[in-house]
Amino acid sequence: MSDHGCIHLNNFKAAKGIQPYRIIHTYFVACTTAEARSRKALACFCHVCNSIGSRLHSCLHCIFFGCYIGGHIQEHAKLKKHFLAVDLAYGAVFCFQCGDYVYDQELATVAREHRLKAAKSLGMPTVYHSWEPSRYEIELLRRNPRRRKLIKNTTVGLRGLLNLGNTCFMNCIVQALIHTPLLRDFFLADRHLCQFQDEPGRCLVCEVSRLFQEFYSGNKAPLTLHRLLHLIWTHARHLAGYEQQDAHEFFIAALDVMHRHCKESNPLPTTNPHHCNCIIDQIFTGGLQSDVVCQACNGVSTTIDPFWDISLDLGPSPNSEVESGNSSNENQSQSSDLQQQEQDRTSLVDCLERFTRAEHLGSSAKIKCSKCQSYQESTKQLTMKKLPVVASFHLKRFEHSNHFHKKIKTFVAFPEHLDMTPFMSHCRNHNNNNNINTFRGLNSVTVPDNRYSLFAVINHIGSLDAGHYTAFIRQQRDHWFKCDDHLITRANLQEVLDSEGYLLFYHKQILEYE
Amino acid sequence: MLCKTDQTLIMTGERERLKELLRTRLIECGWRDQVQMLCRDIVRERGVHNLKADDLIAEITSKGRALVPDSVKKELLQKIKAYLVQDM
Repeated sequence: MSDHGCIHLNNFKAAKGIQPYRIIHTYFVACTTAEARSRKALACFCHVCNSIGSRLHSCLHCIFFGCYIGGHIQEHAKLKKHFLAVDLAYGAVFCFQCGDYVYDQELATVAREHRLKAAKSLGMPTVYHSWEPSRYEIELLRRNPRRRKLIKNTTVGLRGLLNLGNTCFMNCIVQALIHTPLLRDFFLADRHLCQFQDEPGRCLVCEVSRLFQEFYSGNKAPLTLHRLLHLIWTHARHLAGYEQQDAHEFFIAALDVMHRHCKESNPLPTTNPHHCNCIIDQIFTGGLQSDVVCQACNGVSTTIDPFWDISLDLGPSPNSEVESGNSSNENQSQSSDLQQQEQDRTSLVDCLERFTRAEHLGSSAKIKCSKCQSYQESTKQLTMKKLPVVASFHLKRFEHSNHFHKKIKTFVAFPEHLDMTPFMSHCRNHNNNNNINTFRGLNSVTVPDNRYSLFAVINHIGSLDAGHYTAFIRQQRDHWFKCDDHLITRANLQEVLDSEGYLLFYHKQILEYE
Repeated sequence: MLCKTDQTLIMTGERERLKELLRTRLIECGWRDQVQMLCRDIVRERGVHNLKADDLIAEITSKGRALVPDSVKKELLQKIKAYLVQDM
């Protein structure tokens, strides 16, 4: 089947042009005005049986609508010898002499134009249309005839990373980034436009882009990340040096440098001048709402701050509880056991629950209320205003204070699938934000779906000063692998969920279109 | 009644919005890819020149319908109901 129509359609076009198609399409297929919509609403029924569904077609030669399922458009074609008809649901042209739909480039262009206009006239965001290769891309495909086919259970995309001396903190984060589905799609589609064209080797995003090519090249030998490490050293000086660094700190620094490096070169128009549209922000940035409520006048002051990750406290530490709590000795061991169990049962959801709970700021931290203009005690509550595509959770296992540094080994249960709805601003503070519900009601063409699934976990083994990082990553939906520097081994979900967990990465299951 | 409903949905553009939502959901849940694969298999089996759109439609329609997830049907139904209640 070609896209040059058929001889019958070409003859028709030669005689009458594309105007008849244009008119039918703009009024009855993709209405570009309100007037067209009301004409379509009133006129679209079969002229024989009055049905409205059943694959209605319009004759391209005269004014006649007939259904295909009832056979009425076919009857008309035979009777009047009008052999071309337009499908009113999709705009395709049926040729009764060929007995099939025919495709014509010129008409397809008209149809696409109308569809765009129609969506615009209804205020709908850009309508999805499937990818079609451009002339340049067709040429590229022709010149490179080798295709790589992905089979089930393939290990393509998995590569070990050599340890360059205490660089496991970097290796594990790189594994997590490389296996972030949306980031992978972006880089494998070659979408990065570098802003340092004249300074090769300076851009971190280019280096990450190169790494994606390396990971998916099919080569299985472990990679060394010396260039990436060097770029991080030059752009994030606090991480320079040969000692072990914190993986979380590296993650944030890497995002920050990449964000800075692709900030300028983004071709997408931003809707909000303060909001960056770079790939890092599109994937990792969420909005955290902070509501401070004055205890005197109940005035709420709300701020929204962007975030790349959520750092979560693991809950009250067992030692301090015992010290401050129970004074009688006989109960002490029992209660500490209980508390130990309590500790053992903590979970990611518990941590999030605690994180989004209203918190008393106490009498020593009085804040000036903007409503009653006086210093008052207040409560503060954090909630999720906007969720990122990738939700990164940092469990605060490392405790640093003036007196001691220690690692908290508490087991935190985390689920494979996580629904963030309970921690959203409109759910959490229903008491003071009534207007949000009505707003949502008006705007509710799509139900927000806030389900996430786990795709990477970073673990820290050992103690604070002599530790090692490893990563679990998900490949092809439900295969798990453990990445321990250059060693990659198969893992199963249970092992992942039973692991201690330091950084947890979740990917949104359903993406909203902007 | 049915006809009247359909007319209002078209006039207000709500029909297009619902259609777009449906399209989005069907892509998200993988329905579109599934149906595409089924079509591809049929075309490959019979040869592209021995097959009309009608044949493909006849063979694929019932399978395609069966593959639509219940959650998608439910969401659409709920949306349409909500719209009609609000409109009347």
